[in-house]
Amino acid sequence: MNRFKRIAVTAFAMAAIGVGVFAVARAQDAPQGDAANGKRIYLADGCFTCHGRSGQGGAYNGPAPILAHTALPFDGFKEELRNPANDMPAYSEAVLSDKDIVDIYAFVESLLGPRSSKDISILNN
Amino acid sequence: MPKRRNLRDSSRRNFLKGAGLVGAAVAIAPPVAADAIPTAPQERLKAALPGPLQVAAETIPPVNDPVNQTSSGGDFMTDVLNSLGIEYLAINCAQSYRGLHEAVINHANNKPEIITCVHEDVAVHLAQGYAKIEGKPIAMACHGVVGLQHATMAMYNAWCDRVPVLVMGGNIMEADKRGPGADWTHSGVDIGAIVRDFTKWDDQPASLQHFAESAVRAYKIATTPPMGPVFLALDAELQENPIPDAESLRIPKLAPVVPPQGDSGALAEAAKMLVDAQNPLIVCDRMARTPAGMANLVDLAETLQCGVIDNAGRMNFPSRHPLNQSFRRDMIGQADVILAIEMNDLWGTLTSFSDRIVRRSRPATKPGAKIITLGVRDLYLKSNYQDFGRWQDVDLDIAGDGEASLPVLTEAVRHLIDKGRKAAYDARGKKLAAAHLAMVEQSKTDATIGWDSSPITTARMCAEVYAQIKDEDWSVVGTSIRLTWPHRLWDFRRPYQWNGVSGGGGVSYNLPASLGAALANKKHRRFTVAFGGDGDFMFNPGTLWTAAHHKIPMLYIVHNNRAYHQEYMYLVAMAARHGRGVDKMDIGTTIKDPNIDYATVARGMGVYGEGPIVDPKDFGPALSRAIAVVKTGETAVVDVVADPR
Repeated sequence: MNRFKRIAVTAFAMAAIGVGVFAVARAQDAPQGDAANGKRIYLADGCFTCHGRSGQGGAYNGPAPILAHTALPFDGFKEELRNPANDMPAYSEAVLSDKDIVDIYAFVESLLGPRSSKDISILNN
Repeated sequence: MPKRRNLRDSSRRNFLKGAGLVGAAVAIAPPVAADAIPTAPQERLKAALPGPLQVAAETIPPVNDPVNQTSSGGDFMTDVLNSLGIEYLAINCAQSYRGLHEAVINHANNKPEIITCVHEDVAVHLAQGYAKIEGKPIAMACHGVVGLQHATMAMYNAWCDRVPVLVMGGNIMEADKRGPGADWTHSGVDIGAIVRDFTKWDDQPASLQHFAESAVRAYKIATTPPMGPVFLALDAELQENPIPDAESLRIPKLAPVVPPQGDSGALAEAAKMLVDAQNPLIVCDRMARTPAGMANLVDLAETLQCGVIDNAGRMNFPSRHPLNQSFRRDMIGQADVILAIEMNDLWGTLTSFSDRIVRRSRPATKPGAKIITLGVRDLYLKSNYQDFGRWQDVDLDIAGDGEASLPVLTEAVRHLIDKGRKAAYDARGKKLAAAHLAMVEQSKTDATIGWDSSPITTARMCAEVYAQIKDEDWSVVGTSIRLTWPHRLWDFRRPYQWNGVSGGGGVSYNLPASLGAALANKKHRRFTVAFGGDGDFMFNPGTLWTAAHHKIPMLYIVHNNRAYHQEYMYLVAMAARHGRGVDKMDIGTTIKDPNIDYATVARGMGVYGEGPIVDPKDFGPALSRAIAVVKTGETAVVDVVADPR
């Protein structure tokens, strides 16, 4: 990926993260992954520590973005793992293979995203 | 010390009396029976036994050697503490201040009321939490050497948090007055040295009058902004022995210092900059000192119709106020004038920093943005510990107490606003209100993710608690989940509904400081609730015994993520950077195998315990039961196995 494209993908990812909105069109060309294996890696390799077991987001040095039902294109997702734009750890191939990333992507895609808060009465106090 | 010479010195005579009695007992021991088992060979006796005259000289007290006394220095010290209005004395008992301890109980009928703590760290943190709710300090007493060593980290938190605490440590100044053993290991020449880097002031009074003046001075220094802990070393003989010259003693008069207001010219200049700005922004941290602080800040923000980013070191600004933009940090980059009030870490707030191999930073502010600071933090700094943070360039630096200066600043702003500006400001305020509302709705939506998951999400954990306490006169005094869900979801609007965080980031703050805040809330009949991490809990679980013993009501939610979670994340980042072993970072960072049952620990300390709660459906009913217990005046702990953040 050339530098310009990388910046563009990263910028897109960060913009989506920044506003917390993932309701944009999903990438149709994402490789098929094994969501069950992705979940195993997500929990074992520490992704959950910042992003939550349900992909609900959390905090590291700053806010850690929501990943549940992500609408990030696979390329952008992978780029964030390999060359993150902020304090997120960079996961090299030595610790996370391309196949692992495909599986993690399948897992976070499979997670239920947000629903209407109106359905949960105690969120409307 | 001339006064001490007037006192009768019985300590050495008493010591020799004991030794002499042993010698006399040996001298008159009956002959050993023929069939007795010999216990010591005769040849071990190296020295001749003392004769009757020597024994008499060493053991018989002079006829005028007193054995009782009708006054004590501790009585006077207690009078001084009570003159300052100190309500509580948090202690872990120690012989080096036994004179004061006894005087508080018997001379002053347990006033200040003694709060028994099982660790000095608990006592100081308890005082820190209390002061931030009640607005005034309590005292703490400990062994001046070994107890003070335990107390140091909590004193550091109080220092970094700019909170007044009066810490006192017993000592025996004169070497010839120390008995054998512990009196020596528990004495020092300058016991305050260990805490001098993170106290505002300390002293070792050498007379009762000296104590009186130093105690009042210490109180005044501690409570003058920028506030902070102070330390007094208390000589044991001074506490214990009779008052030699009671008529000459006087308790000094305390006139509380009026906090300094910023220069009126500088405030007028700041007002002009703010009024002329297109996008002014207020950032604040430890601004509100009194209940008036929040109202003063609301007045300024509403006059300017500008956004407020509250770092929440105190209860500065209502969470649901339309101008509250605390979760819209991107506003820092849009502001053309930033007013920073009583900031703890201004550079950190206005800077983007990368925690990577090359640690880079860049301003988060817009190029050319003007920065005004108002506060007293820089009026008292120390050099060793680096809590003052990195240098931040500013354009107008006003030394003055934020809360005290705000009315003048707001009035100056008001005078400069004409009708044209008023309309523009109103339009600006409406945009900010809409953004605030959108943020609140987004927070609610975000909170739904993983709603039914186990472990419970922190969003649901906080929402469930709020649902059950929102109609109480509640006060949140601890958090383990940063400034996230409660501040995003709850309606904080009263000055006592929040009291900030530890200050120094020293773990063990949360549980005892929350209890101190609960102690302050008790007399106001407020409902105290705190969230605390499991890691923090395990530093001082004995805090709960103090809660039970003194019947202090508090709902304590253990956010049980079974880890020192921030460190867990750091370690994952380190392993990823090094390209190895990211799946092993639970070693040394997690608290599992075995899992700790915090409800059982709580019950063992004498308070109510619920949990561990794993299924989110079980949490609401468990909370209801715990809240019912708290309403009877006791502490209840609910152990919630929850997601990390």
